[in-house]
Amino acid sequence: MAGAPPPPKAIPSLAKKPSDVTRQGASKLKFVPTLPQRRKKEYEPTPAIVPSTASKDGARGRGGGRGFEGRGRGSGRGRGRGGAPPEVTMTASGPFAMGPTLAGSGASRRSTPRSNFAPSIASSNSGSSTLGAGLSQTAPPTLRKDLNDLKGKGKEVKVEDEDVEVYSDPDDGVEIIDIDQVRGMDYMAPESLRRERKKVKKEKKTEEPGDVDVANALDLSESEEEEEAELEDVIEDFAAQVNIDSGDELREEKLYLFQFPAPFPTFVQEAKSSETGGGDVEMSDSTKKVTFGPDVKPAADATPISRTASAVASDPNEPAVQPLDGVIGRLEIYRSGAVKIRLANDILLDVNPATQPSFLQQVVHVDMDQKRIVVLGEINKQFVASPNVDALLNALEQAEKKPQATGMEGEEKLLTMS
Amino acid sequence: MDIDDSLDDELISTLPIHFSDSLSPNLQLHQFPLLTRPLQVPPSAERAGKRIVSRVKPNTKRYEIHVPVDTRPEVWNIDKAKEFGAFRVDDDREKNQEQKLKLKEGEEPRLSEIRLRSEEIHHQGVYVLGIVRDGKLHIQPINETHQMRPSLTYLDAQSRKNRRSGYDSDSDDGPPPDPDDPTPAVLQKKEKKAAGEAREVQVSAKRSDDKGGFAGISAARREILQLIRAEEDEAWENLEFCDIKTDASATSFESMFSQNNDVLRCDSDITTFVKGIKDL
Repeated sequence: MAGAPPPPKAIPSLAKKPSDVTRQGASKLKFVPTLPQRRKKEYEPTPAIVPSTASKDGARGRGGGRGFEGRGRGSGRGRGRGGAPPEVTMTASGPFAMGPTLAGSGASRRSTPRSNFAPSIASSNSGSSTLGAGLSQTAPPTLRKDLNDLKGKGKEVKVEDEDVEVYSDPDDGVEIIDIDQVRGMDYMAPESLRRERKKVKKEKKTEEPGDVDVANALDLSESEEEEEAELEDVIEDFAAQVNIDSGDELREEKLYLFQFPAPFPTFVQEAKSSETGGGDVEMSDSTKKVTFGPDVKPAADATPISRTASAVASDPNEPAVQPLDGVIGRLEIYRSGAVKIRLANDILLDVNPATQPSFLQQVVHVDMDQKRIVVLGEINKQFVASPNVDALLNALEQAEKKPQATGMEGEEKLLTMS
Repeated sequence: MDIDDSLDDELISTLPIHFSDSLSPNLQLHQFPLLTRPLQVPPSAERAGKRIVSRVKPNTKRYEIHVPVDTRPEVWNIDKAKEFGAFRVDDDREKNQEQKLKLKEGEEPRLSEIRLRSEEIHHQGVYVLGIVRDGKLHIQPINETHQMRPSLTYLDAQSRKNRRSGYDSDSDDGPPPDPDDPTPAVLQKKEKKAAGEAREVQVSAKRSDDKGGFAGISAARREILQLIRAEEDEAWENLEFCDIKTDASATSFESMFSQNNDVLRCDSDITTFVKGIKDL
């Protein structure tokens, strides 16, 4: 297997000759031990484990033996997790992995709107002078102890993690830290990229052609699972929200960002039935904001339509500057995991999770009256709402049958001209 | 597949969608592409009583958020901070945005904050903020999106100064092609023209290289310059920065929720989306 070749590769060429001749070549042998020995340590357990797992799972048949060698090791080392199917294999790693994993890893999702990100621990339990201690080589940083439950006495740190790295003995003045835990050492410490150690090890082992099939199969199934998980997530987001007890002082509601197709449907407040208790903070907007086109781009299209609508249909001679407030439709959750938004007039939109950015996004209320910027929270998740194609096609078909449609278009043009 | 799905599919639950635009023209999304942690004051700076401040140029829609930095000597080079701080003061002076002097009582100016400067991002589609509360999905339109990135213009000031002192009259690189600094550039150009009449060719070549001069400037360029100048001329307005733990945040947050159960009438249908596509 992959394990066997490397050690001989380096050694024999150098090691054999001296041993063949005499022992005078002792100086040549000197540097040999360091590297190979460590490797041997890593691989030694393998033969012991492989037969046992292979025999257990023998029913899996061809290729299973090899395939399971990787897994067997996983189970041996990783405290039984190796046996479980969802080992993440095909996820993007590196910087791209941070987005979904950070934002979308269901279990560890935060409940407060405070932050999507790993809390900077330094701020919570901060001994004043020990803060930077992790960076100097002097005192053992107390902070780190708190964080990781390490018993490391300043010098050698061994994390009792699944994958314990074996370090060589520390030299004087050199401190060994776990690079994955660096983030916790100090406020200013850089963020370590998440890495999936299992994956790396597995890839190392599955280099032989026989393993490719298995690996691919695994990848596929896992990516599917992932998608499913993603879908479930969507539901979870909306369904599980209902029974949240907000006993905390922090607000529990999560903020979601939806991206809708460009001209947002126009809505009009019906008649005067509404005295709207909605006027809370300020409604000083004096622009013609009957609808909200983001008045940047589609203004040419969106605004005229809305104005026609309001001017023709409803009485207000001048579009009232009253904030809109009311029900516009409903969000539907289906058993399959699909989530849809159904608005009036058969507007049906599919909701899908969008690419989750890995960086901070805040929703902010800029209050120019009181001269302040008010942070409302971080975006927890992004969704894309796209028109349901079936509904769209149906509607287009019907619109073609009716002459209305052309009338509408004519109006639009007229208005844009004026 | 899809059709089958939709047929077999069973509606499990629905949430009414409440729409409100109570915060309407002022609800913004601020993105921090270089920040993978919450926006907060470092603990050491917090202990020193520093806070995040912000300011805005309302007409040009330029926002700045000033975040105090962690100035512990372990992670912060004080000498550099002084150096850059001085340049930042220069830079501010050039841009007529000098801060009130309370920061520097006799002591040297230091770099003590990171300035995150906004750049507006145009929306593709319509962005809406959604919050689920009490079994209802409340949505609010987001009006603007800004990306906040650290502003390092003090480095411009530094390099400008170094260049001036370094290669004084020797190579004379001419006016720095710095868009932030149009006025001095113009002055220099004139000087150079006067001095370098004998080397006419060279001068004109440089002009086209550098700034294009004011004669051959294209309309687009002029527009850009105008924008830049408009921005520079506009004065900053200070804004209080209320983070999420403040009462102001709670109040604004509450005001986002729709209070009304009336059904809004919809004046468009799904074909609007198609019609809304440009060039179709």
